[in-house]
Amino acid sequence: MMGRRLKDSHWWWVGLGSLVVLVVLPGLNAFTSVTHPLHVSDFSINLYGKYLSYAVLALSVDLLWGYTGLLSLGQCLFFSLGGYALGMYLMLMIGKLGQYHRELPDFMVFLGYPKLPAHWLPFRDFWFAAAAVVWVPALVALIFGFLAFRSRIRGVYFSILTQALTYAASLMFFRNDFTFGGNNGLTDFKFILGHDLRSPATQRALYLCTGVLLLLTYLLCSALTRTTFGKVQRAIRDRENRVLFSGYATADFKLFVFVLSAVIAALAGALYVPQVGIINPSEMAADKSLEAVVWVAVGGRGTLLGPILGAVGVNALKSWATRALPDLWLLLLGTLFIVVTLFLPKGIVGLPEQLRQLRRRPSRVVRPTAQEAPPAAMPVKPQAKPE
Amino acid sequence: MILPSPQRTIVRNRPKGCQGAWVLAAHAPLRWGSLKVGLSWALAGVCCSSWLGAIAATAPSPAPAEKAVRQELSRAILAEDPERARLLNEIAHSGSTIAQEVLTAWTRDGVYLYDGSGAAKIPLLLEETPDSEGKARAIRIDTGRFLAGPDGHDLRLAAADLGAADTDMKLRQTVQRALDTLALADPNPETRRSAASKLGNSAKPQYLAVLEDRLAIESHGEVRRTLGEAIALLHLADTNPAVQLQAVRGLAAANALGAYDVLKRLAASTNASPEVTRAADLAARSIALHLDWVNFFGTVFRGLSLGSILLVVALGLAITFGLMNIINMAHGEMIAVGAYTTYLIQNLFGAGFAFSIALPLRLWGKPLAFGLHLPGLNASGGLYESYFLVALPLSFFTAAAAGLVLERTVVRFLYRRPLESLLATWGVSLVMQQLFRMVFGANNVQVSSPAWLQGNFTINDVMFGYNRVFVIVFAVLIVLGTWFMLAKTRRGLLIRAVMQNRDMAACLGVRADHVNLMTFAFGSGLAGLAGAFLSQIGNVGPGLGQSYIVDSFMTVVVGGVGSIVGTVYSAVGIGTTDQILQQALGSPVLGKIIVLGAIILFLQWKPGGLFPTRNRGLD
Repeated sequence: MMGRRLKDSHWWWVGLGSLVVLVVLPGLNAFTSVTHPLHVSDFSINLYGKYLSYAVLALSVDLLWGYTGLLSLGQCLFFSLGGYALGMYLMLMIGKLGQYHRELPDFMVFLGYPKLPAHWLPFRDFWFAAAAVVWVPALVALIFGFLAFRSRIRGVYFSILTQALTYAASLMFFRNDFTFGGNNGLTDFKFILGHDLRSPATQRALYLCTGVLLLLTYLLCSALTRTTFGKVQRAIRDRENRVLFSGYATADFKLFVFVLSAVIAALAGALYVPQVGIINPSEMAADKSLEAVVWVAVGGRGTLLGPILGAVGVNALKSWATRALPDLWLLLLGTLFIVVTLFLPKGIVGLPEQLRQLRRRPSRVVRPTAQEAPPAAMPVKPQAKPE
Repeated sequence: MILPSPQRTIVRNRPKGCQGAWVLAAHAPLRWGSLKVGLSWALAGVCCSSWLGAIAATAPSPAPAEKAVRQELSRAILAEDPERARLLNEIAHSGSTIAQEVLTAWTRDGVYLYDGSGAAKIPLLLEETPDSEGKARAIRIDTGRFLAGPDGHDLRLAAADLGAADTDMKLRQTVQRALDTLALADPNPETRRSAASKLGNSAKPQYLAVLEDRLAIESHGEVRRTLGEAIALLHLADTNPAVQLQAVRGLAAANALGAYDVLKRLAASTNASPEVTRAADLAARSIALHLDWVNFFGTVFRGLSLGSILLVVALGLAITFGLMNIINMAHGEMIAVGAYTTYLIQNLFGAGFAFSIALPLRLWGKPLAFGLHLPGLNASGGLYESYFLVALPLSFFTAAAAGLVLERTVVRFLYRRPLESLLATWGVSLVMQQLFRMVFGANNVQVSSPAWLQGNFTINDVMFGYNRVFVIVFAVLIVLGTWFMLAKTRRGLLIRAVMQNRDMAACLGVRADHVNLMTFAFGSGLAGLAGAFLSQIGNVGPGLGQSYIVDSFMTVVVGGVGSIVGTVYSAVGIGTTDQILQQALGSPVLGKIIVLGAIILFLQWKPGGLFPTRNRGLD
């Protein structure tokens, strides 16, 4: 964990960061003229809003992977489900302003739907959609998590299964007759709660919402990880069977964390969609989830600042690289991933400590991470295969 | 299309390959790396040149039969009825391809008459591509040579200057009939068969005589069957109920799939006798049932072939993941390595392969770019077709080499961190995909199956593609080989020892490091082999591996991690179920979703897979 010195100063950093993100940047955007040197353009605010929602997603991945040891490759499924739930509301708010000037959303006219499918009807109401952002992913996570944890699927098997789940879901959403726009997804949004989505003020408000969500998620996670619950969580990550034999129902703990992080991811997705203006099934592909895992790994898992730094940093790098070196971006991302996994098991946040240790013990560069290092007192353990 | 001259045929057969290879080796600007390869190809080219030369020398000279047919054709075009009808009838039974070409041209007004030196008219065909003045060389139908002028040079004529051989409605019918009969007399049984079924479906009773004539002399079993069906089909339209009834029964007994629609119509028709409609209805039902079975077995067969590819992929994974506990997300890219190797070898046997990459970076003021040009063998015929035999082992070794590099640079640091091996190898897979895109382009590349893998054979109407049969047989061989290697050889013993307990094996003097390396390379090589097979069945593109990786991980998990037998069962099971569901639901995606859902539920029931590895260890 973090050193004492860092811990004391870390609230200062949180406060400063929140100040910059929630007050300074939007303020500069709203109250300075376009020609002012410190002006933050509408485009940038929109871009930063996207980064912030990615940061929330990264936090949800970290809560699962960094703190509980569950590497889910399906986190983007929940992200997209949240996005789709709000997207349905946004779709219905277009009204007759679509390409075909009909009550039905464009893709339904295009695909020849006679009328709005019944499950779309309640999404005219914003609050229903907002509730659906929470309960739909939570329900999916609950069912899948219950099945997975009940049969004690863990480790890599859990990762592979979540990947299969996402894969199946994305195949389903790619189908035209699944009533969610198929390949093209939901797009062309116009209004949210009566406000024009293209106006800078609306975008700024969405940006602020995302910033607040990030702050709240951060506070929630840091509160959670400091309670006994958080300790059990980390104990499950490090030695699940010992926790189990100490009388804790590890499956329930894991299920709770899984559902919680699904909800967090879904909220991030719901705020992401109106800012980006589109949601389609490619968002839930397995590689998107893996990309979110990269952010966490780069920033430093098992910490709360790391994922935020990682998400914003990697995405800023991506924005730059896809423009400057479009062919090399994937090479860069892949290499970054290999290097971080091999040489920086604790990410950027853990880098200072790693350097300190390197100075003390120059012989060992790659240290096994906390979860793999056996406790010193433990007798030599026979190497076993997963049961 | 029309190349009647024997000289020209030889010209076309002359091996270009050897010449091309020489030229490339001698003059082509060779960049780094290609020199050695180029020389060796040139050597190979010399070898093949002598071989192909021998083939060209023995090209057949025009058969006497062909000359006779040409003479008859020529006479038929100039003659009048009834002499013309007699000649056409004679030609129709010759089975000659030249006759087919000329007669087809005739029905399209493509036969011209040359009225040269006052002597008899000469029937001609004109070459396909006229020059800029609209003129082309003329081919004499009676000899097959170019029409020469008085000076001995080939004459160039325009279609507009020549009179076309006259045709009328009646003549066209006669010629068409001759053409159909010709097709029935074709030397290739497959052509005869398709001609017969075409005539059967024509619903024109006037073909009955032709078909019956042919049936009387036909000896090929399959063709006889199709002829019988065609005749019965035509009999269905007969006015005599007894004839109809007999035809219906005949079709039902033969399970003639092609007759299904006609029988259905007959069963529903009101002007046939009730007895006939009833029989037709029964026949249609029995054929429908037969069709269901045919579809079912076809699906099972496709499922088996898909399952065996999945098996080869998953077998590699069962070794790296099941035995070594490494999650190799780049396993899919090993498949792509194998597939692209096949593509490369195919190109090296053909026109060669070149690529160049320009990086958007500058180093010391120079733009960074590199490329490679590999000259091809320009082989054709049997040599070209055999490229796949070279590609198979090479795809294994290339992928194994890639695995070797991957193990040394990345995987070996992660033996105790399986979750992280997943992440790092995913990074590798991203890098490799991008490299494929840069070298081979972002689009799918075309890998053509060698002729001996194309085509199919039919057993009881179920179609078996040679490529799929080949895949199944080879998968069985690979599984047996892998099993033998793991269970019966010393190397296999060492592998199992290291996989069970790496530290203990190392203590006992096994070179665990080395064994790990070789095992990983072997697993990757198997993926490469799977890629070579996949290139024969599906598309080859940079994302090829991605579409298989989820499936193959699932296969290993369902089979029971660490169990080769389990992998075999689950691969075949998942492949077949997938295909059957796709067929039953009429949608590939829905079938896949259901299979994935079923797998998740299956793991509820058997968390350890079909064949769980028993173990007393806990953590």
